[in-house]
Order: sequence, then C-alpha cells, then structure tokens
Amino acid sequence: MEIFRRLVKNRISLFGLILLLFFVLIAVFAPLLAPPKEGSDPYRIPRRGWTLEPTPPSAKYPLGLTQGQYDIYYGIVWGTRTAFRVGIIVITFRALIGIILGSISAYYGGVLDEILMRFTDIFMSFPYLIGVVVFVSIFGPGLNNVMVPLIALGWMPYARMIRGNILAIKQEEYVLAARAIGVSDFKIITRHILPNSIFPVLIQASMQIGSIVISVSGLSFLGLGAPEGYADWGQMLSFARNWMLGEQGNVLKYWFTVVYPGLAMVLFVLSWNLIGDAFRDIMDPRIQA
Amino acid sequence: MLSYIVRRLMFLPVVLFGITVLIFALISTLGPWTRVATFIPSPDAERHVDLEAIIRKYNLDDPPLKMYTRWVNNLLHGNLGWSQSSHMTVMEAIKRRFPATLELTLFAVIPVIIGGILLGVISSVYHNKPIDHTTRIMAITLWSMPDFVLGLAVLMVGYGVLGWFPPGRLSAWAELEVLKESFRSFTGMHTIDSLLNLRFDIFWDALRHIIAPVFTLACLWWAFMLRITRSSMLDVLNQDYVRTARAKGLAENVVIKKHALGNALIPVTTVAGNMLLGLLGGVMIVETVFNYPGLGLLTSTAATRLDVPCVVGVALFYAIILVLVNLVVDLLYSVIDPRVRLE
Repeated sequence: MEIFRRLVKNRISLFGLILLLFFVLIAVFAPLLAPPKEGSDPYRIPRRGWTLEPTPPSAKYPLGLTQGQYDIYYGIVWGTRTAFRVGIIVITFRALIGIILGSISAYYGGVLDEILMRFTDIFMSFPYLIGVVVFVSIFGPGLNNVMVPLIALGWMPYARMIRGNILAIKQEEYVLAARAIGVSDFKIITRHILPNSIFPVLIQASMQIGSIVISVSGLSFLGLGAPEGYADWGQMLSFARNWMLGEQGNVLKYWFTVVYPGLAMVLFVLSWNLIGDAFRDIMDPRIQA
Repeated sequence: MLSYIVRRLMFLPVVLFGITVLIFALISTLGPWTRVATFIPSPDAERHVDLEAIIRKYNLDDPPLKMYTRWVNNLLHGNLGWSQSSHMTVMEAIKRRFPATLELTLFAVIPVIIGGILLGVISSVYHNKPIDHTTRIMAITLWSMPDFVLGLAVLMVGYGVLGWFPPGRLSAWAELEVLKESFRSFTGMHTIDSLLNLRFDIFWDALRHIIAPVFTLACLWWAFMLRITRSSMLDVLNQDYVRTARAKGLAENVVIKKHALGNALIPVTTVAGNMLLGLLGGVMIVETVFNYPGLGLLTSTAATRLDVPCVVGVALFYAIILVLVNLVVDLLYSVIDPRVRLE
C-alpha cells in the first residue's frame, strides 16, 4: 500500500496509472464500446466494404477504415483486449516456469542446480527474437505460435532471480528452524521461502508486459503473428505499410492507418514503462533525492 | 585469463549442441516435404519431382540419431541447407546479407553510445532538475515506441514528405556500379567500400539510404543507454569516495570525469554487449520496414514463406555470434574493472 501511495504521489507514475486504467476500462467495456455482430467472433474486425483502398475518418467510422475496409476504431478497442491477454499469459507462464525451476535449483543445489543452470545458460544463448521466428517458421504463423516460444525463451531471468533470492533466504533462521522441526521440503519451499522471495520477481515480471506487447505486435507486423483481420494492433499496422507513402501530391493521405493504431500501442507501452520506471526508483533505496 | 577464454570457448560447442538438438526435435515434427529442404543442401528440393526418390537418395527415412549426426556433420562443413525463398544455399545467403546488417549495426552503435552516455551523465548530474526530467521523459517515450511504429513514421516523413531518405540499400544505378568489375569489394559494406574505391557518389547514395534505418534503431537504443548510464551514475555519485573527492575541494567537473564516470561505465559495458545483440535481432523489423536487404530482411522473408533451413541457419549463425560477443564483453569487463577476476 505504501508503494501504491508513492506511485500516486509521483506525477509521472500517476499519469502512467491513469493511462493504464484507461486501457483497462476500454478492455473491460469493449463489448459496449464496439459491439460485435451477433454470433460472430468478436476478435475479427468487421469489414465495412470490399475495396482495398483505406477510407478516411467519417462521422460513421470516426477513426477511418484501413486496407480492406477493416474498421480501425473497432480494431483498436478489441486490440486492447488482445494486448492485455497476450501480455498477461506470457508473463504468467514465464514467471511460473522461472519460479518452479529457480526454486528447485536453489533449494536442492548440487548437481541438480548445476544441470538446471547450464540449461538456463543454453536457453539464454539463443537469440530471443530469432528463436521465436524459428518456431513460427516450423509451426506456421499464429498468435499462439508466437506466445509459446516467447514463454519458452523468456523464463530464464526469473529463474535466476528466484534462485538468487532463495539462496539468500535459505540461510535465514526461520528456514533452518522449520527444517529442524522436520517440515517437508515442499512445504518449506511453498510456505516459507517463496512468499519471501517471490514479490520482487512478480513486480519485475509485470513491468515487462509493455515490451512483450511490442514483441508480439512486431511479429504480427511481419506477418508471423495474428492472422489478417484479427483485432491486433501490430497486424493493423502491417496494413499501413502499403499505404503510408500516400499518393502523388498528397503523401499523407492515409495518415490514419498509421497514426491511430500506432498511438494506441505507444500509449499502452508507455503506461507500463512510466509505472515501471517510478517503481524502480521506489524499490532502490540508494536513489533517494 | 587464457584458461578462462579457453573454458568459455569450450562452452560454445555445448551451446550449439543444445540448440541443434532443440531445433532438430522441432523439425522432426514436420512433414517429409519441409524436411527434404532442411536436410539436403541442393536445389533438388525446389524441383517438385519425385519426392520418394529424393527421400531415398538422401536417406531421409533413417532413424533420428543417424539423421541428426549427418545433419550436424553437414553443418560443421558449412552446409546449412538450401534456401527456397532466396534461391541459393543458406551459407551463401548469409555471406551476402551479413555485411549489410553489420554496416547498419555499426552505424547505429556509435550515436547510441556517445549520445546515450553523454545525456545520461548530464541527466544524473542535474538529478531532478528540469534537464533531467526532460531527457527522462524523452527517453521513456522513445523506449515505449515500438520499432515498427517509429520506422513507419520516419519513412513517412523522411521519404514521403521530404524525399530525402529513400528505402532500400542503394539506388538502381549505384547497384549496377557496385556489381562492376572495376569496383573492388573489400568489406561488403557499401559506405566503406565506396570510400576505399574513391567513389564518393556511391558513398553519398549509400549514406542516404542508411540514415533512416540507423536513426530508427539508434533512437530506441539511445533511450535504453541513457537510462542505464543515468541510474549507474546516480548510484556512483552517492558513494563515499565521490564525497571524499568533493570534500578535498576538487572541482565538480574533475570529480565527475575522473572519479565518477569510470566506475559508472562498468555496468554500461555489459549493457553495450546486450545492446549489440539486441540490435542484431532488432534489425529484423527495421530492415523489413525500410526494405534494407540484410540478414533481418532475409530472416523475416524466409519465415513468412516457411523456409525453415534459412531461418535455422541464421539462428545458428546468431547463436555463435552471441556466445562470442558475450565472451568479449566479459573480457572487457575484467579490463575495465580490476576487481573482477576471471576464473
């Protein structure tokens, strides 16, 4: 609570919090803001026509229609849900794998620790984005096929952090005491060690949501992630690629295809980074003005 | 020190073994058709002739272990397979594209390091003053900017509106000039080669093409560099020895340059290594946006066409670079920070 109070007190992080709240509201009220057609998949952006050329904003479609007459406003609203979903799923699984492997490694030590840490090293020497591309080129594009390798190649820092934290806590008296009275290993890990070492890791993890959304959208932009017409910001921006140079004499004719989805992405990521930045200052007692 | 280097280099085969097993396991789940292309290094795979015959010819129905050893043996001999999306062997494709990416990365690293460190120091010296707030907000906004959004914006303004920075790597006429016999290729990097050939018109053309992608890459990493330098400097400026230096009556500017900066740059070195790797990976999107024919564009094109051998080849290539760069960073680290003993 103390942390939250300080986040609100700092003007920069307060702005971040408000921005984030705004996106949460959009995601929650998406069905009201942009009602999908009865019986159709809400994550498919409706098409308002069949011509290829984007249509500029009008009273009916306030943010305009991008290539193929996909509704930009609808895509941005439902794309917010996609962004949260992707970010939260990836982070949760990364943290989970990291916590499990890190705590096993630290608690048991010895050969098991050595093996698990070498394993971590190997995963870390794999170029992250390239690894995702390898996976996608083998199993084909798709949002799930992007998320799986992002999880598989992203848990290592958390495993290391948890391991470090546990190694420090393991020697604390209350853990030694618990072991002395014969508490089982599993119970010591889950009841005594994890609650005291997990918090900083979870915070760190949640601040990564912004950058994960960038990675996933980037892959969608390359055509490796969400399929055409899916409510995903990166996918919408890949449409913009064909139109951003406008036409002779009016180069900025299709500005709305880049600006609106781009703005949504930047603000979303910005909100996480603003909070994360303030958070780091709060957590680090050495940087006090 | 030497034994440390040897031990670290010995880790390289371990990493490559892990990666190849992982990739092999993934590929094993594929249908025979894609496998054909992955395991045989010739254009045979492109002629959609007799699949059965090809499978027999290259023993593709062997047990996995035998296939794996043969594949690795091929890799060790530089045989990375046939790339369907670029119509040449993967090795050849990497050889041709790598200089372009290296050129891009090198150009981007310079402004990032100089600008990032400079502004990071200024920001920390004026901690919580207006300059600090301004640079911080600028940095965090840039850092929140996805590379493809920034790239699209730069292309729209730099090429669409101003017409200064065209996409691609060279104009058509320069492309022809470079391919001529009289143009000697030293490094494969056009800006450097053209200077060595005293062809300033080509140099100018190459420069015009490279500025926009370099700017895009540099903006993102500049923000990153600034943040690291700033927090590291803040940390150091609060240390006792800095207070001692000030108490001795040294000028503030001497304190910062002589006492604080050297120590503050230690963590920055590690980050610089990561940055180089991030840049090499990050070029995939920037190269695609600017249609710049480097390794990144090669990979993303290959991936969208499900050209597995090409993507796998590039991945292995990157893995080797990654291990080597990390080694160099660790060595640099011990040179800069005498407290670090490599064992």
